[in-house]
Amino acid sequence: MSMLHEIQRTRAVPTGIGLGLRARFRNEVARGDADGVPAFIELSPENYMHRGGRSPVQLEQIADRFPIISHGLMMSLGSTDPFDDEYFDYLRGFLDRYDPPWHSDHVCWSGLDGALLHDLLPVPFTTPVAERIAGRVREARDRLERPMAIENISWYAKLGHSQMDEPQFLCEVLERADCGLLLDVNNIFVNAQNHGFDPQRWLEAIPLDRVLQLHVAGHEPWDETLLVDTHGATVRDEVYDLMAWVIERTGPRPVLLERDTNIPPLPELLDEIRRLDGVYQSAVGRWQAATSQADPARSQVDAAPSKGHSDGQ
Amino acid sequence: MASELPIEAPTAALNAIIRGSTAPAAIKEDLAGFLRAQGVDGADLDAMVAVGAERMLVYRSLVHNRMRNAARDYIPRTVARLGRARFIADFTAFMDEQGARSHYLRDVPAEIVEFFVARWQADPDVPGYIPDLARHELLDADVRNDWRGGEAETGLPLALDRPLRFDGATRLVNYGHPVHTLPRELDDRTVPPAEPTPLLVYRDEQHRPRYLALTTFAAAVLHELIDNGLPVQGALVAAAQALGESLDDDKLGSAALLFADLAERGVCLGAEPTTES
Repeated sequence: MSMLHEIQRTRAVPTGIGLGLRARFRNEVARGDADGVPAFIELSPENYMHRGGRSPVQLEQIADRFPIISHGLMMSLGSTDPFDDEYFDYLRGFLDRYDPPWHSDHVCWSGLDGALLHDLLPVPFTTPVAERIAGRVREARDRLERPMAIENISWYAKLGHSQMDEPQFLCEVLERADCGLLLDVNNIFVNAQNHGFDPQRWLEAIPLDRVLQLHVAGHEPWDETLLVDTHGATVRDEVYDLMAWVIERTGPRPVLLERDTNIPPLPELLDEIRRLDGVYQSAVGRWQAATSQADPARSQVDAAPSKGHSDGQ
Repeated sequence: MASELPIEAPTAALNAIIRGSTAPAAIKEDLAGFLRAQGVDGADLDAMVAVGAERMLVYRSLVHNRMRNAARDYIPRTVARLGRARFIADFTAFMDEQGARSHYLRDVPAEIVEFFVARWQADPDVPGYIPDLARHELLDADVRNDWRGGEAETGLPLALDRPLRFDGATRLVNYGHPVHTLPRELDDRTVPPAEPTPLLVYRDEQHRPRYLALTTFAAAVLHELIDNGLPVQGALVAAAQALGESLDDDKLGSAALLFADLAERGVCLGAEPTTES
């Protein structure tokens, strides 16, 4: 049984294409302009925790309209700085209010010695670092009393000598932490381009039964030799293909469209979600066909619903 | 909070490359020497030298750009008047000497500005109104996003022997220059005169920041009520004494109008209940 199915026993999990909430179009989503298109809305709690004024009012409106998934930015799982108690208190309160099926954060560090850098910085691919990150994921899960997922990042420089490659490193963290994977297929594509590996081989080395969610996004060139994960462009066809490759093997999952810079008008983002959904539905169809041949009963249970709130099984 | 466990040397080295003000020049000149000084050796050193200085500096650019742009977005007129070069130099010093402490990017500009203000006040080349302008530009987001605010009225009428309760998002500020009157255009260079400028800032029902210019007496009364928590009568007396003036009927009348106005705006929520009630 996959980790998603274990979670679905006790928690509602939306599947289909969702949208990451950004201030640029928060008003429109709150008043219903996106209704019927995204299957869910993903929030980054740090953008809303410990904050008053209009935003909590709008979040209530949005939570009434869409299932919510939570994706954090500043847990700094790769750091050695102790977790900040106040941060976790606010985070826990936020998650308890919106009750997402899990909380995710990145396999990175974002600060050291008390100074926070507000970016996703790479970690050395070594066993001691994998052990440390896994321990912190377990601690976060215990503090939040909620399943945790970790996301693979785009990295632009290997940090020191690697004892293993990135898939091996992620596997070690996943196994030691017994957590889920938020698979960012754009990050895989960007890393593959920057470091010269085959993204499909990378995916074949990952335990897909731990995949809880996917991220797709666009990227931009930094210079002639480097792509950067800016979330500032439309999703490329190669990233669509990677998403479809995974869904074809995992079955329905929540897939998030991320856009952080050069954000187009909301109707254009909704059109991109519709295009993604077409690719997603085709992949789900291929997964259903393959699964029904192997186990007809299971494919009917796993496939529904592909959009909106699943009530768990 | 500082680390209790040692971090591996390559991570510490990247942290130093991102934060250190002299790091770019140092690693371009001698990356291996810089890394060795950070404790990186053996296979780690070889791997990081193979990556090269330029690629390491991509991380520095990404971090600096994100945080510096966040600050610039909050204080655009201050940055325009200060000049880009000075802003970048001040930000570089912030990263080197202090760094951000908040987990929330929206709070980092305030940390940066407080660091800047200490440098600006010690520098005769920076106009005296610049700290006021930066703090004023920040105030809009500060009040707009304050987690407090919108509390219920106490239901108790004003009483001379009790303090007043104010909406949690309310701010009382005292500038040395009327920076709130400056034109909003980025290319404007009007220099405000040096004069005491007390303002009350609050969040209205539509969650928008609102600014009230205060008389000297109103500012003194609200200071005693909000900052010192005095009962109404004590606040009126203390305010008059602080200004060296008598508490005459005109002042009492103006205070009554002030309290009524603030109640109507939802700023004053009524008398504080006694601890027994």
